[in-house]
Amino acid sequence: MTGQKKMKTTEDTMQFMKMVADKQQWRLNRDTELLEILAEGLTKNFNRYGYYSCPCRDASGIREQDKDIICPCDYCRPDQDEFGHCYCGLYLTIDFFERGTAPSSIPERRPEEY
Amino acid sequence: MNNNLTFVHEDGVEKYTDVTVYALSTCGFCKRALKFLREHNIKFRYIYVDDLEPDEKQSLKESLAKEYNSRVGFPFLVIDNSRCLVGFTQHEWEKEFSID
Repeated sequence: MTGQKKMKTTEDTMQFMKMVADKQQWRLNRDTELLEILAEGLTKNFNRYGYYSCPCRDASGIREQDKDIICPCDYCRPDQDEFGHCYCGLYLTIDFFERGTAPSSIPERRPEEY
Repeated sequence: MNNNLTFVHEDGVEKYTDVTVYALSTCGFCKRALKFLREHNIKFRYIYVDDLEPDEKQSLKESLAKEYNSRVGFPFLVIDNSRCLVGFTQHEWEKEFSID
């Protein structure tokens, strides 16, 4: 891991995810197994790259190149507007959450040059 | 392609000659895709692309994009080294593996 940042635990990351969702008035995926995988994934990325890079995209490990995919990513809102949830299925709109549909993979919105 | 990569092999029924999944160790839909194959007892192999060395990873992603004429996203399923399916959507995978 780069720098001297303190290592995160999955519990730290779960708190971060909840804080983001509360602040943005989003809902976390109700699927606790998937949520756990994503929390572990974000934790792994933080501890190897130094930032919460999106767990469902391959990061370069260079912050400047990955800044658009640091969670919550730049594509979260447009993906929520179109599909009801972010690329990972982590953050859901309240409407989507209340419909009870399970998120699945959606098309990549990130520009192709990445 | 990929002769130097180390895949994890999982036993099961041979639905196709070769079923390969390029996945991220951190990704929920990738884990769901691997679980789907296990639950349906399908023989496959996989590799966590994010755990490769940067040069190796870049080379692999470029090869996949070129060979399958597709943007590389994860999971990236390759059937018989001839076609790919990007992402995990259960009904699409059920269709691909002829599961009712």
